[in-house]
Amino acid sequence: MATLELNQVTKSFGTGHKKVDAMKETHFQAEKGELIAVIGPSGSGKSTFLTIAGGLQTPTDGEVIINNQNITKLSEKKRSKIRLKEIGFILQASNLVPFLTVANQLKLIDQVKKDNMTKEELEQLYENLGISDLRNKYPADLSGGERQRAAIAKALYSNPSIILADEPTASLDSDRAYEVMELLQKETKSKNTTTIVVTHDTRLISYCDKVYKMTDGVLVLQEKEVTE
Amino acid sequence: MMFLAWNEIKKNKLRFTLITGVLMLVSYLVFFLSGLASGLENLNREAVDKWEATAIVVTEEADKSMPQSSMILSDVDGIEADDIAVIGQLNAIATNGDKKANVSIFGIEKDEFIMPEVSEGEEFVADNEVIASDALKDDGFKLGDELKLSSTEETLTIVGFTEGARFNAAPVLYGDLASFQRVKFGEAAGENEDQINGVVLRTDDLSNVTDNDSLEVVEMEEFITSLPGYTEQSLTLSFMIYFLFVISSVIVAIFLYVLTVQKISMFGVMKAQGVSNGYLSRSVVAQTFILAVIGVAVGFGLALLTGAFLPAAVPVSFDIVTMMGYGLVLIAVAIMGAVFSVWTIVKIDPLKAIGG
Repeated sequence: MATLELNQVTKSFGTGHKKVDAMKETHFQAEKGELIAVIGPSGSGKSTFLTIAGGLQTPTDGEVIINNQNITKLSEKKRSKIRLKEIGFILQASNLVPFLTVANQLKLIDQVKKDNMTKEELEQLYENLGISDLRNKYPADLSGGERQRAAIAKALYSNPSIILADEPTASLDSDRAYEVMELLQKETKSKNTTTIVVTHDTRLISYCDKVYKMTDGVLVLQEKEVTE
Repeated sequence: MMFLAWNEIKKNKLRFTLITGVLMLVSYLVFFLSGLASGLENLNREAVDKWEATAIVVTEEADKSMPQSSMILSDVDGIEADDIAVIGQLNAIATNGDKKANVSIFGIEKDEFIMPEVSEGEEFVADNEVIASDALKDDGFKLGDELKLSSTEETLTIVGFTEGARFNAAPVLYGDLASFQRVKFGEAAGENEDQINGVVLRTDDLSNVTDNDSLEVVEMEEFITSLPGYTEQSLTLSFMIYFLFVISSVIVAIFLYVLTVQKISMFGVMKAQGVSNGYLSRSVVAQTFILAVIGVAVGFGLALLTGAFLPAAVPVSFDIVTMMGYGLVLIAVAIMGAVFSVWTIVKIDPLKAIGG
């Protein structure tokens, strides 16, 4: 069953001769247990794809369906609820709250949502991400890589059915990047969730089940072996 | 919602101490002004408040002013009330040879209800004996002092003191009607022995007090606000207090707005993750509430502390109930200031904030 579906979705900005098509007609489907990579040069529309899929903006045309619910016409308030319940964002810009410790970043989620990870699961997550000792530190005291791992912990903590990651390994060294991808892969398989990773790091593709390439607003499914 | 608010305060102590400090100073000023206002009011009315009277009867032509009213004892016969006390009143300068003071002389009947309680010394018995306001004690007057008066050859002797007896900013001397008439009329006192200024009364029914058209029944509160200068003083201080309410609301609004603008991307990220506007807004309001309560409480304490160390010449008197009311208003207007930022938060587009 598809957890995320984009039907005939387009996105354009501006009007008349200034009109820019950020996303041309796109069909996309992601199933449970799939780890999907979307690659492409910067400015190709990857981020637009991710934000539309995550319900952060509405498409110009077409529909977005998350877990059988068409979110295209929903109000921002309702989409916000769906984001909270269904989606874990790992954003390029650190999505940590500067005045909360790593542990409190997760506690904040407890404040606004139920059914998050249990204590044991959380310990395991800290362990896997190698941030067990950092839980009482503030984001400003962490390195870029540590911040990124904390952000991943935050995204996974709410047990989302869809994880949308924008360059999740950008500030990590190779070893750590592979570890993070392994972790995302493991989470996707063991919890039967859907993970979509937007990246230009082609080394990560080997962890993914499917690879899409975005060029000038057109999303094309790739044969994995053929990618450069 | 306290979670986010409190953690942010803990992490950014300096920033929030500054805001709390400003709130503290504004509330300190409000409380101090309210103390000054009620002190000035007491200066004018505490003797009258002591009577616990409902109303006073003066002549219609006196326009609610006791010194301008002239009645005779037989007017009392036409007055219906539960409790009645006659009063003669005269302003004078009194001196004990060393100090001078502006005084208000009240001539009363000893067995009527406006007779003051003696806190030191004795009640007046003989001619020209008076009970003085203990405010005169602070000015250097003592029991047994012979007082020379500005308008007459008569002298009065202080035989007792009573607490809280000032009228229209002058300490009161309570004596019997005969003493008052000798002071007021000198050698003509004998012909004026039935002259009084007004009749103070306690009653439940003000409509049937008198049917004499030349007399006017003035309720006590109205009588006090008609005292020269009273309303002007109170209004001046009240206006300052009301302006401070507006100012504190604006200050809080500006501070929180700047803080909120700094945090736009952070709020945006949280909104992207699905944290609702409601949660974030409540958090900002909760934060303001915490800051305002701390600021107002500290300001309250400081005002009381300052009051305790001020010289007696500064007329402050803290009315705790009024102050608590003002404190609540300050907290409320601070929260109104925060609402401005709530509006900003609601308008944040999560997409822009995360640079999507």
